[in-house]
Amino acid sequence: MDVSQYLGIFLDETNEHLQTLSDQLMILENEPENEDTINEIFRAAHSLKGMAGTMGYKRMQNLTHDMENVFSEVRNGKIKVDGHMVDILFQALDALEEYRENISENQDEGTNDNEPIIKELQAILNGESAEASDDKKDEPESASAEAASDSAENSSGSEEGKWNDIVLHEPEQHVISEAIKNSQKVYGFTVYIQESCILKAARAFLVFKALEELGEVIISEPSVQDIEDEKFDFDFSLYFVTDSPIDKVKEAIMSVSEIDHVIGDVIDMDKAKIANEDDEEEAAAAHEAEVKETSAKNAPAASSAPAPAAPAAKDNKGADNKKNAGANKPAVNRTVRVDIEKLDVLMNLVSELIIAKNSLVSFATSDNQNSHTGFNEQIEYLESVTTNLHESVMKVRMVPIESVVNKFPRMIRDLSKKLDKQMELHMSGEETELDRTVVDEIGDPLMHLLRNSADHGLEHIDVRRERGKSDVGQIYLNAYQDGNNVVIEVKDDGNGIDTEAVKRKAIERGTITPEQAETMNEKEIIDLLFLPSFSTAKVVSDVSGRGVGLDVVRSKIGALGGDVSVKTKLGEGSTWTIRLPLTLAIIQALMVVIGDEKYAISLGSIQTIEDVAEEDIKYVEAREVINLRNTVIPIIRLRDVLGVETEKEVGSNLVVIIVKKGDQLAGLVVDELIGQQEIVIKSLGKYINCSSRLISGATILGDGEVALILDANVLI
Amino acid sequence: MDALNIAREYDSVQYIVIKIGEEQYGIDISYIDNIVRMQSITRVPHVQPYFTGVINIRGEVVPVMSIRVKMGLEPDEYTNKTRIIIVKMENNAPIGLIVDEVREVVTLDERSIDEVIHDSKVDETFINGIGKNGDTLISLLDLNAVISEKDNS
Repeated sequence: MDVSQYLGIFLDETNEHLQTLSDQLMILENEPENEDTINEIFRAAHSLKGMAGTMGYKRMQNLTHDMENVFSEVRNGKIKVDGHMVDILFQALDALEEYRENISENQDEGTNDNEPIIKELQAILNGESAEASDDKKDEPESASAEAASDSAENSSGSEEGKWNDIVLHEPEQHVISEAIKNSQKVYGFTVYIQESCILKAARAFLVFKALEELGEVIISEPSVQDIEDEKFDFDFSLYFVTDSPIDKVKEAIMSVSEIDHVIGDVIDMDKAKIANEDDEEEAAAAHEAEVKETSAKNAPAASSAPAPAAPAAKDNKGADNKKNAGANKPAVNRTVRVDIEKLDVLMNLVSELIIAKNSLVSFATSDNQNSHTGFNEQIEYLESVTTNLHESVMKVRMVPIESVVNKFPRMIRDLSKKLDKQMELHMSGEETELDRTVVDEIGDPLMHLLRNSADHGLEHIDVRRERGKSDVGQIYLNAYQDGNNVVIEVKDDGNGIDTEAVKRKAIERGTITPEQAETMNEKEIIDLLFLPSFSTAKVVSDVSGRGVGLDVVRSKIGALGGDVSVKTKLGEGSTWTIRLPLTLAIIQALMVVIGDEKYAISLGSIQTIEDVAEEDIKYVEAREVINLRNTVIPIIRLRDVLGVETEKEVGSNLVVIIVKKGDQLAGLVVDELIGQQEIVIKSLGKYINCSSRLISGATILGDGEVALILDANVLI
Repeated sequence: MDALNIAREYDSVQYIVIKIGEEQYGIDISYIDNIVRMQSITRVPHVQPYFTGVINIRGEVVPVMSIRVKMGLEPDEYTNKTRIIIVKMENNAPIGLIVDEVREVVTLDERSIDEVIHDSKVDETFINGIGKNGDTLISLLDLNAVISEKDNS
């Protein structure tokens, strides 16, 4: 049994539960009495605890356990929800999030016990305020620990070191004596599993797994096979060879959940061989064992007549297997959760595809006179199937932006406390879908913009009152689809951008000269904000103000093929607009011919297509321009830019494609237009070093030829 | 029996023998993904001169390089013997090499491969051994050197 194969599922579900917890806590903060919410939280915490336990993440389990306890008390009406408690719970959530990240990175939850949080949680449980309990906390615990060890000592009389019952055969004796020669230590252990445990075999397996990291299990009673088949009561015994001290080994065993306790000691070879006779003496040795809690119940009747131990060979084999499993740690895959309906559609289309192929085959083999029309029909059918197939596959890749934006309410809540400003976040359009790769990348830029709005945008409460605004600052996050784009807006009703302040700052930093500043329009000034290392925050806070925000936002969104713009009015607020392509892999493009080569230009950047007479071309500063409806537009002859050599017959009119980047326009002269087409973007690979960055990729045309995609933005 | 033993003792590698100009070259067969006939190559502007362009291999856009230009010989003249050899080095993306002709597959063992004595006058070499196959000599191409980015043209 190897739990690592469930890691992906575990992480996915943990994410979901953490999200539920976070959402519900937000609700709970506003409506402390909401029973549904409390129940929901309790369920999520409980599931999390169970999952963490199954996967053997002890620390995570402990923390969720305490959270669950708190909710359980809340549910029973014994404690009331207050602000302090919600704060602590959010801290606990963060800690869980940290565990989750550690696990997804290296399959280990890390070593942070998060004791302060656990203490706080327990303090809440005990109905004390956190401060008061901090000191007191330790006492009862150590007292109870003492009590526990007392009882352990008392009851240890009844504790039998069951490992002494194991009969050692020749091979095992040999291994033990070898180990002793190598100055390794040989211990005997008896592990007791809690009687409430359902998956005994799984727990036992985890114990073995933990032990194998420290040393080697020589023999166990019952045999490994029997343990795996769950043929044992609630305890099992084993001999163990290791370099580690006994406490460490015990700790390792106890780290497996649902283990009641473990007793063990160094093995005396002479006694071990004789076995079975001097129980009392062994029991005396066992009482030193560090036992957390014991009771009379945990000494069930010793298993009858020690069965002959499983052959050592078998044992070793099991160990080897497990080692192998541990060695090839699977990296956590990036996954998309797909609605089963989407998959059904996909499956149907594939079967239709097969039918279409089969009928084509039968047409090809039959000598039917009418085959030509039938053939065409089949081609048409095939075409519609592939179009649908393409659409469905793209849909499978689409995920709602919900997964990214739903962590923001929590962030705004924290910011609100940190910045001491009241604010509310209103979200809409969370269901808007985007390609998975885009959704993964969009989180950070959005976070920057929201923080920006919260920190720089919204004014402090006294300023807001002065301006006649309501006390609570409003931040809006709206997402919607607009043609082939998805638009995400971050809007606030705060101060807006103070262009004068930006100007002063820019001059101060030497980015621009005062003379330049005079002639700059508002748009240009705002563009300064997107420059690297530019921040107008007067105080560097840990929220923002380090000047790494907006340039990162712009470059990241640019890398995704989108752009970001801002509209602002001083004193009334600003709106940041992010525009992203629906998907990265497929775009609408205009196919053009230049010389005898075909190129694709993304339709997104094309404004209009003009027919321009040669004599309409004018010269400004030795550059060709045209005057189109009172706008002067520079002309770029793609033939020259692309180095196309073949001559073409000189016509009287030029085909000019007007492209736009921001506010700038340019006219691209091409020889011929083919038409609009949906193209699949392929990368040129890393061998080809296209120095001018003019070519952003390639696509494969219907006839199998490769056409290049021109990036019009680079030309302007 | 003896022959078998010898075969076991010496590592042997299969090479595809190609012709560029008058010289014969060998390419380790394990790196070869595919060999295709000459097809229309889409020129890519503003790239290294030895990249002829890109072609479509089963839906993948694969760059094609001219070994001739890379080696500083006169440019390719396409005949109906011209082939594009698609090579794939370990985890790298595939790349096409234009050769004048593909001749045969030979098996060479260690004993029939001579080390190349590097001539200090020549800065760069694309060959990492010379194989003897009967009377003919085959220069064994060092694919890494051929593909790697070094502007020598």
